[in-house]
Amino acid sequence: MTIDWIFANIGRISELTASHIFLTLVPTLLGLIVALPLGWWAHRRRGAYPVIVGAAGLLYTIPSLALFVLLPQVLGTKILDPLNVVVALTVYTVALLVRVVADGLSSVPIETVQAATAMGYRGWQRLWLVELPVAVPVIASGMRVAVVANVSIVTMAALLGIPQLGSLFTQGFQLRLFVPIITGIVLCLVLAVLLDLLLVWLNRALTPWRQKTVTS
Amino acid sequence: MNIFDFFTQPANWVGSEGIPGAIGLHLMYSGISLLIALAIAVPLGVYVGYTGRGEAVVAGLANALRALPTLGLLILVVMILAPVFGSSLAFVLPTIVVLVLLAVPPILTGTYSGIQAADPDAVGAARGMGYTKAQILWHIQLPCALPLLLSGIRGATLQIVSTATVAAYVGLGGLGRFIIDGRAQGDYSKMAAGAILVALLALVLELAFIAIGRLVISPGLQRTTRRSRKTPAPPQPQPPAPAQVLASSAT
Amino acid sequence: MINFDNVSKVYPDGTVAVDGLTLQAPTGKLTILIGPSGCGKTTSMRMINRLIEPSSGVISLDGTDTQSLNRVDLRRRIGYVIQNAGLFPHRTIVDNVAAMPRLLGTPKREARANAMELLERVGLNEKFANRYPWQLSGGQQQRVGVARALATDPPFLLMDEPFSAVDPIVRAQLQEEFLRLQREIGKTIVMVTHDIDEALKLGDQVAVLREGGHLAQVASPAHLLAHPADAFVADFVGTARGYRALGFVTADGTLGVDREPTVRVGDDAATATVGADGWALAVDESNIPQGWVQLGRLNGAQITESDINISGTVAKEFGNLRDMLNSALSSPSGRGVVVDERGVLVGTVSAEAIVAAIRTAKQEVLAS
Repeated sequence: MTIDWIFANIGRISELTASHIFLTLVPTLLGLIVALPLGWWAHRRRGAYPVIVGAAGLLYTIPSLALFVLLPQVLGTKILDPLNVVVALTVYTVALLVRVVADGLSSVPIETVQAATAMGYRGWQRLWLVELPVAVPVIASGMRVAVVANVSIVTMAALLGIPQLGSLFTQGFQLRLFVPIITGIVLCLVLAVLLDLLLVWLNRALTPWRQKTVTS
Repeated sequence: MNIFDFFTQPANWVGSEGIPGAIGLHLMYSGISLLIALAIAVPLGVYVGYTGRGEAVVAGLANALRALPTLGLLILVVMILAPVFGSSLAFVLPTIVVLVLLAVPPILTGTYSGIQAADPDAVGAARGMGYTKAQILWHIQLPCALPLLLSGIRGATLQIVSTATVAAYVGLGGLGRFIIDGRAQGDYSKMAAGAILVALLALVLELAFIAIGRLVISPGLQRTTRRSRKTPAPPQPQPPAPAQVLASSAT
Repeated sequence: MINFDNVSKVYPDGTVAVDGLTLQAPTGKLTILIGPSGCGKTTSMRMINRLIEPSSGVISLDGTDTQSLNRVDLRRRIGYVIQNAGLFPHRTIVDNVAAMPRLLGTPKREARANAMELLERVGLNEKFANRYPWQLSGGQQQRVGVARALATDPPFLLMDEPFSAVDPIVRAQLQEEFLRLQREIGKTIVMVTHDIDEALKLGDQVAVLREGGHLAQVASPAHLLAHPADAFVADFVGTARGYRALGFVTADGTLGVDREPTVRVGDDAATATVGADGWALAVDESNIPQGWVQLGRLNGAQITESDINISGTVAKEFGNLRDMLNSALSSPSGRGVVVDERGVLVGTVSAEAIVAAIRTAKQEVLAS
C-alpha cells in the first residue's frame, strides 16, 4: 500500500519536491549575496561587528512561523505568496552567514593580507583574489549549516498552505496516514544530504590547494 | 483591518484562551520541556565531555536531528504516541517528547564541547597541584564550560519556544493557537497577534540569556565579547563550529 | 630530599622512557633535569607527583615512598609550575593564587591576604590582583604560576620548563628573580628545561639525560663544564663551555684591580686627568660609572653627555671571571670596569690580568 500511495501521487510529490528545492536554494543564494558585503563590512569595521552580529542573532531568534505571518504586512503580499517564504529564509540565511563571512575573512592570516598588499594588489583585488578564496572553507561550512536548516524551515510554510514537501506532513495528519509523512521526512533528509554534499564538493573544487581532509 | 485589532479587544485579555493565559501556557510547556531536557542532557554531556566516550555518536545524532524537519517529526511522533496516552493528554505528552528530543542535542553539544574546550594547561596544572577529579570538574571544567553550555541552553530554549508554536497545529495550547486558529478562521489580526507575541517572547528570552550570561560567566572567559582595539585580536580565530553557529536556531 | 632509586618507565608498547634512574635532589637545592627531546626528563619529573606512574623502582620524598601516599595527598605536598602557567582562566589573579588554600579550607580573607603577599614576592604589583589571566603578559602569568605553586608553602617544587614560553629578555629577568626568591625560600626543586644556559645559570646540580632515559651525568654546573663524563655530555653543554665555565670561577683577591682616574660631565677637557691612551672613565656624583670618554676627540671644550661611549659592561667586585673578561673585552679602553654591590666604581682590570687569573684558577681546578 505504501508503494501504491507513492505511485498514485508521484506527480504531486515531484511538484512539491521541485517547489521545495526552489524555496530552499533561492533564499540560500540570495542570503549569501547579501551576507558577503555585510560580513565584509563587519570584518573591516571592528565597531560594526558587534552591532551587525548582535542584530543578526536577534533576527535569527524569531520563529519562522511568526515571520511567515508577519512578512505580508511588511511586503504587502498575500499570506499564501511564496515570496514570504523566500524573504523569510533569506533573512535567516543572512543572519547566519554575516557572522560566518566576517569570521572567515578574519581567519585569513594577517601575513597573507600583508603580502598581497605589498605585492601591489588593490583593495578590492585583494578581497576578491586573496581574502575571499582563503575564507571559502569557513564560509562553506556556514553555508552547509544554512542550507540544511533551510530545508527543514521551509516545511513550516505548510501550516499556512504554501505547497512544498511540508504539505505531505499536514496532508498525512489530516488523513491520519503515515505514508505521506514518512515520504516527506525521507525526501527532506535526502534533499538535505544532497545539498550538503553539493556544498562539500563545491568547497573542494574552489579550494584545490587544501589538503584532502574529511570536513564534517 | 488593523493588525492590532486583536490586542485592543478586552475579551482577548481574559481566560485561558486569552493573551496572558496563552503566554502562561506557552511558557509552562516550554519550561517543563527545558527542565526535562536539562536533566537528560547535562549529565550525559558531562559524561561525554569528561570521558570522551560516545562523542562521535552524539555528534552524529545531533547532526542527523538537525537535518530532520521538525514539523514532520512532530506530526509523526504525535500520530504514533497519541493513541498510547489518554485522551486528555493525547497531544500534550507527545509534543513534550518532541520538544525534549529537539532540545537535548544543543545542550548536550554545548556541555561536552564546553568541558573539552577548558584550557588543557589549566586542567593539567590543577591535576598536578592535587585537585581530585571531582574538584577539577566542579572548580575548573564546568565554570570554563559555562559559555558554551549556556549558549546550548539558549539554543534549546529558542528551539522549544519556536516548536511549541508550531505544535498548536497538533492541538497544543499556547501562542501558536492564535496563528493556527486565526488561519483557520481567516482572521489575520489574530494570526498577526500570535506572531508578534511569539517573536517578542523569543526576543525577550534571547535578551534574558545574554543578561544571564553577563551575570554568571566569569569575566575572565568573556574576552571575545569585550574585544577592544587595544587588545590584539587572536592571531587566527578558528572557523566557527556548526554547533555554535546553530546555537540559536530558527525553526 | 627527593630520591630516585632505580626508577624505570616502560610503556605498554615497549618504549622505554626512563631506564633505571637513580638520582638525589638534595633538600633546599635546585636540581635541573636536562637532555634532548625523548630523553625522559619530563617523564622523570612527572613520576615524582605521580602524574605518570613509574613501572619499577622507588621514588621517595624525605624517605617516604610516594607509592605509600594517596596521589592527591602527595601532589598537595608538592608545588607544581608548568610551561604556560596553566592559570585558571575564570578566576582573578589573586583567586588563582588562593585557589588551593581555599580548597583546603583556609578562610577566604586569610587565603587572599596570603596570596597578595605572595604576588608581591614574585614581583607583581597589587594592581594585577583583580585582573584575569588573559589580561597579563606571558611573563606576568608565569610569576602568578610560581606564586600559586607556593601558596600552600609546600617543601617541594616541580617546574616543567617554567620560563621557556617567554621572550629571552623576560626569561633572563624571571630567572634572576627566581634565583633570588629561591635563596629566601630554599625549596627542594626539580626543574625540567631544554635550555643549557638556563640549567647552568639556575641549577645547584644538573642531571643530563640522554635518549632512552639514561642518566649521562649529574654534577654541579662548574663540574659539568670542566669534567664532562663523556662525549655526549661534552657535546650537550656546548662548544662555548670554556667561556661558560668562567662564570663559575670567582675573582678573588689575587686579581689586580687598578685605580682609574675619573672625569665628570662638565669638566674642562684641558684640566682633566687622562690615561696614557687618551681614554678616561666618566662617573656621576655618586661615583657610579657612566662610560668612557676619549679626551682628544671631544665635541667641545667641555665633556658632555654625547661624548660618553657606553659600549663597555661592568663587572661586580668578587664576581665571576666571565663577567670580568666580558667587561674588559667590551670596554673601548680595553680596561674592564669593576664596581661594588651598590654600583660604585672600585677600579679597572686589564684583559691580561684576567687571563692570568684564569690560568691560576684553571690549575687549581685541575689540581682539585
